[in-house]
Amino acid sequence: MNHAIETLDLGKRYPVPRRYRDLLLRPFSSERRTALEGVSLQLKKGELAGLLGRNGAGKTTLIKILCTLVLPSSGQAFVNGYDVVRDQRAARRSIGFVVSEERSFYWRLTGRQNLGFFATLNNLSGAERDTRIRKVIRLVGLEAHADRMFKDYSSGMKQRLAIARGLLTDPEILFLDEPTKSLDPLIAREVRDLIKGVLVSDQGHSAILATNNLKEAEDLFDHVTILDEGRVLASRPRSEMRALLSGGDNHRIRVRTARGELERLLPSLGVLGFEVEIADSVESGDRHELQITSTAEGLRISELIERMVGAGIEVESCVALEPTLDEIFTRIVERRTRDAA
Amino acid sequence: MRSSPASWSGELATRLRKPLAFLHKDFLSNASYKLAFIGQFFNIVFISLSYFFLARLFELSDSPHLERYGGDYFSFVLIGVACGSYLEIALRSFSQSIRDAQMLGTLEALLVTQTEIPTLILSASAYSFIVTSLRMFVFFLLGVLALGFQVEGANYFGALLMLGLTIVSFSSIGIISASFIMVFKRGDPFSWFFTNSSWLLGGVYFPISVLPDWLERVSYLLPITYSLEGMRLALLKGYSLGDLLPTALPLVVFALVMVPASLWIFQRAVVRAKADGTLTQY
Repeated sequence: MNHAIETLDLGKRYPVPRRYRDLLLRPFSSERRTALEGVSLQLKKGELAGLLGRNGAGKTTLIKILCTLVLPSSGQAFVNGYDVVRDQRAARRSIGFVVSEERSFYWRLTGRQNLGFFATLNNLSGAERDTRIRKVIRLVGLEAHADRMFKDYSSGMKQRLAIARGLLTDPEILFLDEPTKSLDPLIAREVRDLIKGVLVSDQGHSAILATNNLKEAEDLFDHVTILDEGRVLASRPRSEMRALLSGGDNHRIRVRTARGELERLLPSLGVLGFEVEIADSVESGDRHELQITSTAEGLRISELIERMVGAGIEVESCVALEPTLDEIFTRIVERRTRDAA
Repeated sequence: MRSSPASWSGELATRLRKPLAFLHKDFLSNASYKLAFIGQFFNIVFISLSYFFLARLFELSDSPHLERYGGDYFSFVLIGVACGSYLEIALRSFSQSIRDAQMLGTLEALLVTQTEIPTLILSASAYSFIVTSLRMFVFFLLGVLALGFQVEGANYFGALLMLGLTIVSFSSIGIISASFIMVFKRGDPFSWFFTNSSWLLGGVYFPISVLPDWLERVSYLLPITYSLEGMRLALLKGYSLGDLLPTALPLVVFALVMVPASLWIFQRAVVRAKADGTLTQY
């Protein structure tokens, strides 16, 4: 079996809390809010897969269903091949869940005592338990602080301990819900390096990480799933995300023409469906850079360059720019919002 | 194939490992609040003295209602308050353990471990029962050594048996109470009803024979009435196990019906909370 997780037409609808008036006037009616709808996903083992979406997109609901904390309303979900509704115990044996909530530990116990408690609840005992605790403490770099009370930990140390707890059972799949939320940029980078470099690359765990941080997604993910309003807008390897954009290719053209002349000539070119913008920040004498964005599929940048040259603009270079995940995400979500409207 | 004592003790150790982990964790947490930890035993002195002086007032009236229990009000009320404490802790501790975990933010982390929810709830309540037992031990010790609590000829084994039945019976009500908290988060009518009716009608502070006839009949619907009667007759009158049977039997029936029912209700409550997505909300 190659899939760490697989969902088939998964849906979740939460009951909407009713007001006193509704309880009186319509006691038997029930209103529901859709959190997930028709989510079908397949995420491979050994990858760091990302769930990317705005707040309220359904990322946490999806992770909670996969961790057996919430029951789906429709469809099916499998973790490591186990049905999360019918085989909850087996599914839980395959996973580690890194809770981003700082308060999920006992503050007046040390880090080691906290791990000892959760290790016992995960059926570890004796020498095996102690060895495993030592190993995960070393893995997350908390050796020097393991015997300090949790209440004295910094935010970064708390997050590391949460990751250590998720690793206690050496799970095949690790779920992380916004693990760098509320961390300063430096510590967030350390945690990201730990996840990508140590847990996935060295230790071979599969990891599913939810975030709304596009920079984080850019740095980390092998596979990206974009969720919005409970639906999957895209799910594919990070390297193939660009193919989702119809149009939207970016180029940067360096020209050597006086600014005034450029401003006069550009509108007269008829820009063939390209958006052309002078990037003032790099202006230097007669040298200018133009930011070119195609607005539709199949537009040819060479045609635009030919016209520019024909009009007397001296073109020095042209570079194709890869769209960032930020741009891809923004455009996909904007397109969906536009379609929905 | 018969299992050897070694494998039997190994199995027991495995089963006890999780409750012991909770006890250890709760002890470490509570012991770190040193003043509160020690202070909880001091108020026992004040409670004992209050009942001791109250008892001296009743001694003068020589109430016939107390004859069945040896005539000493202090001994009577000491057992009543001890049993009442177990009732309260059984009714409150299960729902409190859920609510504490929701408020502390540890519930999600507990629920994704390889421990089933009933084990989590029962283990999380173990510390409260042990601390209550310790407090009651100090309570009785103080009564016996300093305040004249009468225990000559007591049937301790019978009293412990009644105590065990009491805890199991009360716990089933506590588990139903926890089911309410799991689904509705607050406002548990079950616990409210049982606590108030038990303290009023169960015979904690006074023998139920002082109640009007119709209320006395109502009091026999409450398990605490049988618990108190059995404990008092075992400790104050030295009743044998055979003599205690009519008092113990209603508790056994209550436990046999209510324990499985409460666990079933609790499982349903968990499924409902998971379906509503409110498992960790408070």
